[in-house]
Amino acid sequence: MRSVFILVLVFVLIAVFGPMLALHDPTQINIPNRLSPPSSDWLLGTDALGRGILSRLLHGARWSLGLAFLISVIGLCIGTIMGLIAAQGGKLADWLIMRTTDTFLAFPDLVAAVVIAGILGAGTGSLIFALTVTGWMRYARVARGIGLSLQTRGYVVQAQLAGASPLSIARWHYLPSLMPSLAVVWTGMFARAILGISALGFLGFGVQPPMPEWGTMLLDARIHMRSTPLQMIWPGCAVVLCVLAINLTGDALRDTLAEQDHLA
Amino acid sequence: MTKVIAGLLLRASVVLMGTAIITFALLWNAPGDPAFAIAQARYNSFMVSDIANQIRSEAGLDGGFWMAFQSWLGPLLVGDFGNSLVTGRAVWPDMRSAVSYTIPLAVLGLVFGVALSVPLAMLATKRPGGWLDRGAVAIASLGAAIPAYWLGLLLILLFAVHLGWLPAMGARTSAHIVLPTLTLGLGVAASLTRILRSSILEARNQPFLPALRRRGVALHNLERNHVAPHAAIPVVTVFGLELAFLLEGAVIVEVIFARPGLGSFLVSAIEARDFPKVQAVVILTAALFVTVNLLIDVIYQTLDPRIGEHDA
Repeated sequence: MRSVFILVLVFVLIAVFGPMLALHDPTQINIPNRLSPPSSDWLLGTDALGRGILSRLLHGARWSLGLAFLISVIGLCIGTIMGLIAAQGGKLADWLIMRTTDTFLAFPDLVAAVVIAGILGAGTGSLIFALTVTGWMRYARVARGIGLSLQTRGYVVQAQLAGASPLSIARWHYLPSLMPSLAVVWTGMFARAILGISALGFLGFGVQPPMPEWGTMLLDARIHMRSTPLQMIWPGCAVVLCVLAINLTGDALRDTLAEQDHLA
Repeated sequence: MTKVIAGLLLRASVVLMGTAIITFALLWNAPGDPAFAIAQARYNSFMVSDIANQIRSEAGLDGGFWMAFQSWLGPLLVGDFGNSLVTGRAVWPDMRSAVSYTIPLAVLGLVFGVALSVPLAMLATKRPGGWLDRGAVAIASLGAAIPAYWLGLLLILLFAVHLGWLPAMGARTSAHIVLPTLTLGLGVAASLTRILRSSILEARNQPFLPALRRRGVALHNLERNHVAPHAAIPVVTVFGLELAFLLEGAVIVEVIFARPGLGSFLVSAIEARDFPKVQAVVILTAALFVTVNLLIDVIYQTLDPRIGEHDA
């Protein structure tokens, strides 16, 4: 398990400091140098426009991981607030919010994201919007479920009788109990966001060239599959390792929480 | 029971209506003038305002949101998906031919995924924590992390480019479906193996099993008659999730393998800003999902009446 945490840490460090390690400008076009094999100067070779693949991978971490982090955190905030409103805000609010989550969950989220991002016009803004809109429902479900189960607990009822506002009950009584479960949902959604960003990039609806996002890099590499197959391997490896490390962390977190529940 | 089903039906229609409104609102607020885009796409020439105006009234774009929504929804309710903005032809025949490419892919992908994951999960749970189990879990975790578009490209690289065994692009012969099926099926197998494994393990932990064993029920009878049905219940839920995965996968896989199915249909419709086609795909998908989830809910309530009480 320790190796997984180290891997996650390595990816975080790459996303934060990676661009400083890159030797070359990831967007600088250098045609005479195109599709060159790995060498001491270009450790992983260059792409069709002569840009260093390693530099693009390192810079790409910031796009792929940074955007995924942003998207999953926005989703977490919106979802939690929606879930708590559904749990506390009375029948109408509950009905409206739950039917909205039904509507979004009744649809494969990647397809929805492709439609939204595609219609709004390809670009980073549409990408963030599309993946956030399709990524808040699970948090809302979990937050509502736990919120409802806490409603009849003694300390919540007493807080209500003592005149605490719904907002302060949500803040001081619901949120602490929600945190562990939401953290588990969050790791899953973080991994999904990475996959979603690169899938949209691959379809051409995501981060736009010349920015080095991993899915967009795969799209570029696909055309030159016959001549330089290795160019296609690296961005894919980066996505897989990242998602794998996050998923395993999520599993470990879930197991730890289940154990604690068991003991309590 | 009737009351419960009526409730579920009501809920399903609310969801469908919500999808219709959300999709329409999204397209309505899409940047750019759709009439202009269509004029360009259809006549491939400079924009003439007469043409744009004609397109506007043709597509009901000139009467405000609710007018346009009604003129789209009315025919839809009797099964008319409208006409393509680009070609002017009816959407449904084109979409039907696309669906006829996607259904075999989805079915074969699911069958392959099930055929791979059931034996794997059974082998893995023979001795939980053993090397077979750990290997199966590792493969399944890796499979869940590999995006379909990369797996597809790797398979093309190996089987089409390197070995030259299988065709990669298009859908001319039946051999063309092999690589897309592999891509889709491996993804299905990865998630299904994990779920099957944990539901079998959970079923084995049920307290009634030692009791039955002590009453002299043979081990193989126990597995077949008591563990298997118990492990099958979560699989019903998973089927709904797998369907979502299959459809998402089909979009990506069809684009990689240039297969003229529903996914390619959707992506090219979005690129051409052919809104009636996009709407048709979204509504069809939503209807499919709502129907499947409705069926799952009904099956669940028959299997276990306790489930409806919390949630309905």
